[in-house]
Amino acid sequence: MAGQAQLPRRIVKETQRLLSEPAPGISASPCEDNLRYFNVIILGPQNTPYEGGTFKLELFLPEDYPMAPPKVRFLTRIYHPNIDKLGRICLDILKDKWSPALQIRTVLLSIQALLSAPNPDDPLAEAVAKHWKENEKEAVETAKQWTLTYATDG
Amino acid sequence: MAGPSSVVVPRNFRLLEELEKGEKGIGDGTVSYGMEDGDDVYMRNWTGTIIGPSNTVHDGRIYNLKLICGPDYPEKAPIVKFYNKINMSCVAPDGTIDPRHFPSLGHWNRSYTMETILTELRREMTAPHNRKLHQPPEGSHY
Repeated sequence: MAGQAQLPRRIVKETQRLLSEPAPGISASPCEDNLRYFNVIILGPQNTPYEGGTFKLELFLPEDYPMAPPKVRFLTRIYHPNIDKLGRICLDILKDKWSPALQIRTVLLSIQALLSAPNPDDPLAEAVAKHWKENEKEAVETAKQWTLTYATDG
Repeated sequence: MAGPSSVVVPRNFRLLEELEKGEKGIGDGTVSYGMEDGDDVYMRNWTGTIIGPSNTVHDGRIYNLKLICGPDYPEKAPIVKFYNKINMSCVAPDGTIDPRHFPSLGHWNRSYTMETILTELRREMTAPHNRKLHQPPEGSHY
């Protein structure tokens, strides 16, 4: 398969480590037919409205990785001021604060941390951010409801 | 062209790239596209618009189209259908583009995009066998 024969060593090493020493609450495994494309699961952190939720994401390492950041997106719907309706994530290290010293693991840990610390002052989902600022308690309640509806089996 | 190590961009990230390009606007704006349902995380249904080229019977007309990107996009071509009635050699009686008469779909490859399809359809409108074809009343739909 294209992309498989000459997978850069850095990606091979990162993948091995993700599989052998997964970070708590995070799993990432490459697709068989595209080793730059990962299925990711992040468990909602404790003491957040996402607790109890299983969130699916997809991650892709573009051709110029690690000079360019990975592309990551939520597939599971989530009510969060920095994540939009298409699951796109507003996070500085995925954009201008990316550094090749960062890794897939650090990116996923940062996304997990973003779930614990929503930042309505740098919104991607404007309406959600407004809700968060005007009535945080109610917004958190909506986020819990969405976790139950979209991120919980059955 | 990419070399032997060519990296395959998976469907969803490819569609996100196309979405962002479409949102910025393409060229002179004679073709455009966007998502039909901004909530659909699988980005299946799209709407395209073509402004009829001048010096043809399509001059001044605005054509809306539906593009359906299935789970195998971009390995497989999308299904493309006109909303507005049009008389053109590659368009079936129900408005669907017939891939047998439209090479961009019939000989699809994954480097083609929705922009390719819309641009090529607009070019097709200017082809000698299409530019003077009698057209249904403006504003009629399938």
